[in-house]
Amino acid sequence: MSDEARLRLAFCGLHPDRADRLKRAFGSPAGAVGALASGRVAAPEAVRAAAALPFAACRERLARLGVTPLFRGGAGYPAHLADLPGAPDVLFSKGALPAQPGVAIVGTRRCTRYGTGLARVYGQACAAVGWPVISGLARGADAEAHRGVVDAGGAGVAVLGCGPDIVYPAEHRPLLESLLAGGGGMVTEYPPGARPEPWRFPPRNRIIAGLAGAVVVVEAGETGGALITAAAALEQGRHVFAVPGDVGRATSRGCNLLIRDGATPVLDPADLVASLSLLLGPGRAPAPSGPAPPVEGPGRALLAALPPGGAALEEAATAAGLGVAEAMAALARLEVAGLVRRDGGLVLPGR
Amino acid sequence: MGLAPLAQSARPLRRRPCRRGHRGRAPLPGVTPDPYLGGVFAAVTSVALVGIDPCPVRVEVHVGGGKEAFQLVGLPDTAVREAKERVRAALLSSGYRFPYRRLTVNLAPAEIPKAGSAYDLPIALAVLAASGMVPAAVTGVVALGELALDGAVRPARGGLGAGIVAAAAGFPCLLPPGSAEEAAVVSRAEVRVVRTLAEAVAAALGETAPSPPSPPPETASGASVDLAWVRGQALARRALEVAAAGGHHLLMMGPPGAGKTMLARCLPGMLPALTSAESLEVACAWAAAGRPRPIPSEPPFRSPHHTATPAAIVGGGSGVPVPGELTLAHRGVLFLDELGEFPPYLLDALRQPIEEGWVHIARKGIAVRFPCDVQVAAAANPCPCGYAGDRLVACTCPPAGVARYRRRFSGPLLDRFDLQVAVPRLDPADLCGPEGEPSAAVRSRVAVARRLQAERGALNRSLSRRDLDALQWRPEATRLLRAAADRLALTARGWDRVRRVARTLADLAGVGAVAEEQVAEALSLRAAG
Repeated sequence: MSDEARLRLAFCGLHPDRADRLKRAFGSPAGAVGALASGRVAAPEAVRAAAALPFAACRERLARLGVTPLFRGGAGYPAHLADLPGAPDVLFSKGALPAQPGVAIVGTRRCTRYGTGLARVYGQACAAVGWPVISGLARGADAEAHRGVVDAGGAGVAVLGCGPDIVYPAEHRPLLESLLAGGGGMVTEYPPGARPEPWRFPPRNRIIAGLAGAVVVVEAGETGGALITAAAALEQGRHVFAVPGDVGRATSRGCNLLIRDGATPVLDPADLVASLSLLLGPGRAPAPSGPAPPVEGPGRALLAALPPGGAALEEAATAAGLGVAEAMAALARLEVAGLVRRDGGLVLPGR
Repeated sequence: MGLAPLAQSARPLRRRPCRRGHRGRAPLPGVTPDPYLGGVFAAVTSVALVGIDPCPVRVEVHVGGGKEAFQLVGLPDTAVREAKERVRAALLSSGYRFPYRRLTVNLAPAEIPKAGSAYDLPIALAVLAASGMVPAAVTGVVALGELALDGAVRPARGGLGAGIVAAAAGFPCLLPPGSAEEAAVVSRAEVRVVRTLAEAVAAALGETAPSPPSPPPETASGASVDLAWVRGQALARRALEVAAAGGHHLLMMGPPGAGKTMLARCLPGMLPALTSAESLEVACAWAAAGRPRPIPSEPPFRSPHHTATPAAIVGGGSGVPVPGELTLAHRGVLFLDELGEFPPYLLDALRQPIEEGWVHIARKGIAVRFPCDVQVAAAANPCPCGYAGDRLVACTCPPAGVARYRRRFSGPLLDRFDLQVAVPRLDPADLCGPEGEPSAAVRSRVAVARRLQAERGALNRSLSRRDLDALQWRPEATRLLRAAADRLALTARGWDRVRRVARTLADLAGVGAVAEEQVAEALSLRAAG
């Protein structure tokens, strides 16, 4: 199996299942590329043109984009992913790809405050003990998990469902950049120029699970990408964790079903870290984050009463047993001290 | 109808030499000739509106010699011009003669545009006096009303203004039923109800005429809601109290059904009751908009829809400019529900009047201004679907859509909102909770805070940067402000907004120098950005 043929086949941007079928039918990647280029196999014009692209041109294009191709079994390709059946032959990557298995934190794109808050704190907790955190850069839970990694200054990996030169959704470009700047990486099996078409995302999820030693589903409905990732993880023998949610709520039904089917329920971040230590080996002790500014009085109560996903000020005040005027004053002092932040009507812990 | 009447009324082509009305000739019997003008003259006072202010208009009639004519001058509109026909018919129907001479009617001052049919009655009275058919004493009144062809007097716009002008001039006020009730609210006005032109002459000459029924006491308007009916929402209650105390504009953000509209409706009941001068202003504003109402004691509450035209909201319209919703809300609350749905040009049009307290409308030849000293309350969803940040319901808006929606709130109008508060959806448990504090209790605290502001000379809403600098700030308060400006990236405007709200909180707490406590609370009530 030559790198050349594998790269040229990867540049066709086919669905992985189709690429596998072609490889089997024509005996090798080179045969598949030849068949595509010569038109012996029906394929769209763009695919045929990509198949006809010479190896040097592919290389040149990747170099221009600053993207490194990693070949299955070659240097830089994570061994724990390479061992899996159905792992992609070629990965296009940017930044650093961790050699050891990490933690995948995934969830629905239509997340409630509950899910976004938890994704972020779990991301922070896992990154703080030094485990790579893998997610899909989607809206909602995925992005919050990545943000948690950036908060904690850890290494995160974003697995894309499009080419390495495209950021989808576009508003996450700054997030991806800060992830790369923080020592993280970005990886995809699709070639440069591949659009984020819906059919590209389900196969992408097997890479998320494959790069991880365990998958944490923070919030998921009965259908959706997060459950595909969980299913891929089970197939690959990865451990699945799920965050229990309100039994009557549609947005948590997927998680609750996973727990019913044997996934490990996750409680707080410390609980998650303790469970994961058994799978991934003990992480390093979290770096002491400088002396925390002393908070007394109502501020301390307010901070203690704030759930990870944040709360409306009024909820937090009631939970802390404070009057609203008092709580508002305490909130402002915490905000100035950088211990909480506000987003719309929400008060969230952290900056 | 045939040709005969036409033939009868046709004039001969060659006129007979006129034997009446020329200088030196015998005037009509009983009329004192004017030695200078060669005619006779009479004037009756009526009223026109300048903005919302009633302004006396002298309806002058000169009966002179010359070719028979009936001239109306002094910026009349079409309806006023048509008065000629109504006056002529009403005089004849009422048993008077019509002086077929050179009649000149002047509505002075001439630069104020006059509209409507309200000048029929004063013109008729002045014609009668000038032509000597009735004693000149009939002119010592303020009169207003439209004449029917049979001599009946119909209601016309401006009853309240007539009452105010009459009270100022010390004249009795002759008004038709339907207009008289409006004027009856002016305490010093002597209002006489007249149904016909003949009754008007009699009433003007001092014969008794019925006075209008005293206005019914204002029933509690349905617009206002008592704060006691609002369950939970402690944060929004606090924000409303602060808004009421300092007159601050308030923006409430929350999902649909959280109770933003109900909370806003509580605001008028929390404000101090209107003084008698203020309520007369409000009544004038409403009368000017053609919507007379009893003298209010509670500040008005107006909630224009976001599809309303700029003219309906700001004022204007064709012909003589009419006040809009802004002026109807004068001395009260203008509530903009679904702020994000208001088109940007409408919000732009609102900004300057709200800042200044006046709507200026300039037209060809005239410029009027309507007062609009309003407090703005606005409500908006946090995102297009309304559920961003909700505890239980996932927001379905794409983040770019939310960002685009929020940008609508970052315009110059939003800079005027000192207070911004989140109104979350209620927990069902709160709905069963106890009733809250009633509006009256809050109103008494607001009144104390307002008194402190009155002593300083201005509402906290209108404090400028220079005023704020001149206030007393405790050193810890200044320290916190500085730290907040640094850490929270407050803009210069945001910094002023926080200081204004902090001053109001200090007024509510009854302290002289603003303390750190108040600055901290004000920071939490600030508008984002």
